Amino acid sequence: MNDTGIYKAKGFQLFWRTAWARAYPRIVGTFRERSWLFFETLLPVLGTAAYVFVYRAINAPPDYTGFVVVGGAMIAFWLNILWNMASQLYWDKDMGNLELYIISPGPVMAILMGMAIGGLVMSGTRALIILTVSTFLFGVTYQTGSLPLLGAVFLVTMAALYGMGMMFASLFLVSGREAWHISNLLQEPVYLVSGFYFPVKAIGFWGAAAASLIPLTLGLDAIRQLLFTGDPTLGFLPVGMELGILAVLAVIFINGARLALARLEEIGRREGRLIERRR
Amino acid sequence: MKTVGRIMDLPLVRQSDGLRTFITASWLGWQIESNWADPLLFAIYSIARPLAGVMILVVMYSVVTGGAGPEPVFAYIYLGNALYILVGQVITGVSWAVISDREHYRTLRQLYTTPMNGYFYLMGRGVSKLIIAGISVLIVVGIGKIFFHLPLNFAAINWPLFFASTALGIISLAALGLILGSMTMMMARHFWSLGDAVAGGLYLFSGAIFPLDVLPAALRPIGFIFPVTYWLEAARRALLGPQAALFPTFARFSNASLVGILIVFGLVLIVFSSFFYRWSLHRAKEKGLIDMETAY
Amino acid sequence: MINDAAVLTEKLDRIYKIRGPRRKDDPRELVALDGVNLEIKRGELFGLLGPNGAGKTTLIKILSTLLLPTRGRVVVDGFDVVKDFGEIRRRISMVSGGETSGYGLLTVEENLWMFARFYGLDSAVALRRINDLLHLLGIGDRKRTKISDLSTGLRQKMNFVRGFICDPGVIFLDEPTLGLDVTAARDVRAFVKNWMLEHPERTILLTTHYMAEADELCDRLAIIDNGKVLACDTPHNLKRRLQREAVFKLKVGPIGPKPCKEEMLESVPGVRQVSIVEHSSGTELSLILEREEVLSGVLTHLGRRGSKLISLEKREPTLEDVFIDLVGRGLNVDTSRRGKETP
Repeated sequence: MNDTGIYKAKGFQLFWRTAWARAYPRIVGTFRERSWLFFETLLPVLGTAAYVFVYRAINAPPDYTGFVVVGGAMIAFWLNILWNMASQLYWDKDMGNLELYIISPGPVMAILMGMAIGGLVMSGTRALIILTVSTFLFGVTYQTGSLPLLGAVFLVTMAALYGMGMMFASLFLVSGREAWHISNLLQEPVYLVSGFYFPVKAIGFWGAAAASLIPLTLGLDAIRQLLFTGDPTLGFLPVGMELGILAVLAVIFINGARLALARLEEIGRREGRLIERRR
Repeated sequence: MKTVGRIMDLPLVRQSDGLRTFITASWLGWQIESNWADPLLFAIYSIARPLAGVMILVVMYSVVTGGAGPEPVFAYIYLGNALYILVGQVITGVSWAVISDREHYRTLRQLYTTPMNGYFYLMGRGVSKLIIAGISVLIVVGIGKIFFHLPLNFAAINWPLFFASTALGIISLAALGLILGSMTMMMARHFWSLGDAVAGGLYLFSGAIFPLDVLPAALRPIGFIFPVTYWLEAARRALLGPQAALFPTFARFSNASLVGILIVFGLVLIVFSSFFYRWSLHRAKEKGLIDMETAY
Repeated sequence: MINDAAVLTEKLDRIYKIRGPRRKDDPRELVALDGVNLEIKRGELFGLLGPNGAGKTTLIKILSTLLLPTRGRVVVDGFDVVKDFGEIRRRISMVSGGETSGYGLLTVEENLWMFARFYGLDSAVALRRINDLLHLLGIGDRKRTKISDLSTGLRQKMNFVRGFICDPGVIFLDEPTLGLDVTAARDVRAFVKNWMLEHPERTILLTTHYMAEADELCDRLAIIDNGKVLACDTPHNLKRRLQREAVFKLKVGPIGPKPCKEEMLESVPGVRQVSIVEHSSGTELSLILEREEVLSGVLTHLGRRGSKLISLEKREPTLEDVFIDLVGRGLNVDTSRRGKETP
């Protein structure tokens, strides 16, 4: 009970209430506005198919079809990070939601966490559909390794990836249209350097090492290694090492988001950027 | 603004509402989309994104061939992908203009209460995308020539065929963009636009990055119902000469027949898009969707 | 806790840096608030009255922790806005006119539930309060309507429910009736009055440029213009400042070119303030005169300019007259571009 007579949660309880409340519109939006089904499953399947046929045109081994299918499914998460996490606060500022988020006692970090949870549900649904449909269409066969390890790699990759998304979102808290441009910059170039359509070791050790800052690089590489055990030369690093690096990245990005948020909120308040609407 | 003012004062412009709207919308699109004084934006939109797209294919090719020297199929893939930048930008440009005017700038409702010609407005909004895409194509092709030994011999290029087919291809693309923009007026905003969806589909079916023969036989006919397929073939023939003929899909089509097909497509799509735009606008007004805002 | 007032500002300045259209342009400075001193007591419904661009919204943004002051001290519900913003956020809420917040795909109830959870309310409590408040504002039947389908008036009522759902100690209402029709604005004002009656220990800061609204609702008022507080008192006391003067409203025929009209009339001895509103049927003059006798001088002056008197009314001073007296012009003049700019 507080001084206004109604019980209002604090601390951890407030954090989770805020996070789930923000996740709610995303989850409801996913199932209420179903026109996304057309775009966000058919389109990535078409894109994936185009790269499958390129491999066929140059007579690539059949495993490459599987690499493309898995990469094509994981793109759903990257797009979600760019357009529904990082630049979402730009839309929220535009709609007038951001200032209400800021003045509410619910931590902005919890708002970001809610966006991440909702985003994960949204893109997880999409990724699963893309993977299932493409696997069926192109007759991909998997030779899977340890499934618990696969699950662990996926979860840690998502923690690191959405941690990164939260950090981006906090950086975009004070930005205007720049957010848009940065998201654009990070779309196709990351498809390239993270190896969405080919094993990442193809871009060389140092290239792949630098690209490993993006959690999907190592996550995707580890997932491919665990799904296609028939090709032992496929991986960039051993799965265990990739999992360890991803865990470190998750900690760095989530803490980075927290620190960046505090700092940028202060800058935003000082410079008036939390309330400006530039169109 | 001064520039637009000067253009508007020309007698020809004063005579035509459509042309005036087109020029104003082109100017507006240019102000929104481009800022060449900003090297960062130039690097993002004209270099980084298109180059990354083509580099994915280059790496895929080199992974499989083990870095073997470029074969005809490499030139086919590289050039097709470079030219396809125009397709994506023009088609998505128009449908994105509808979304951004409706939900971001919130000017769509004001625009439709003015006596301007909406069809030409949307067409004009695609112009800046076309220019930006054109620059990207030049950069990507230039990089291909210099770094990847793309077999382009400028003296041997069939320039009349290239310019004629490209102009006709762009007209068809603009009309296609208008059709998609019209459909967008009746739809919610998602982070994929309808333009993205169709551009993605055409990427697969138009033989942009692999010869149509690679597609399963049942899917091949889809490629023949889109003008993009004919434009890409004509442009490749113009740029690559005999190398383009190594892929048999269009062997029975002469250059003249490709241009003829593009003319027919252009006319049909312009007429259809004009009617479809009017119908869509009416439906959007009927359903109260002109000022819809989607968010979740 | 460092002060017992609900809101306290001391020598508050806020300067914006306005960027030019090109990146290399040096930013200009715009003084939005200039040495603002205010003390709002707990339980007060306090009004900030001023034209567009006067600094009202900037002040609200600072009090609601969205903006930092450039200089000066600001305390809300006993906490400093710079250091203790977390504590302040637990105690405040804000509703702005023309607000478009929320997610269009959610229903009214879902949107409100979401915001209630940001304040840490239990789901059951939130849903009960949503229901009660929606009924109080007369939109109980719209609970399941998607907010994208709401009219402006209904949406603003929903925003009011959002603002009050967390039972805030201090609430900021920034032009809350902007764009509402007469009935909706009346409903909203009635809601505010009842809420204050039922919660006498809570505080409301209302900004408005509607004089009647300020007069009807506010216990005390500050008149603000160009970032400065020009007067602060009860509406009654503010109006009493003009009781020794004579206030007239005149409708006259055309009186010549506009730029010199006010100056021309103010040159008449005994005329304190003139406000002019042009209508198609003639010109309406609000005059504050030092004494009634001055009126004959004004009429003579108008007559010399060939302007005919259409109607004449002597009336009690209103807040508008107070405003004109203090600011030197009517409220319908936009001053948003008139901030004191320095290169």
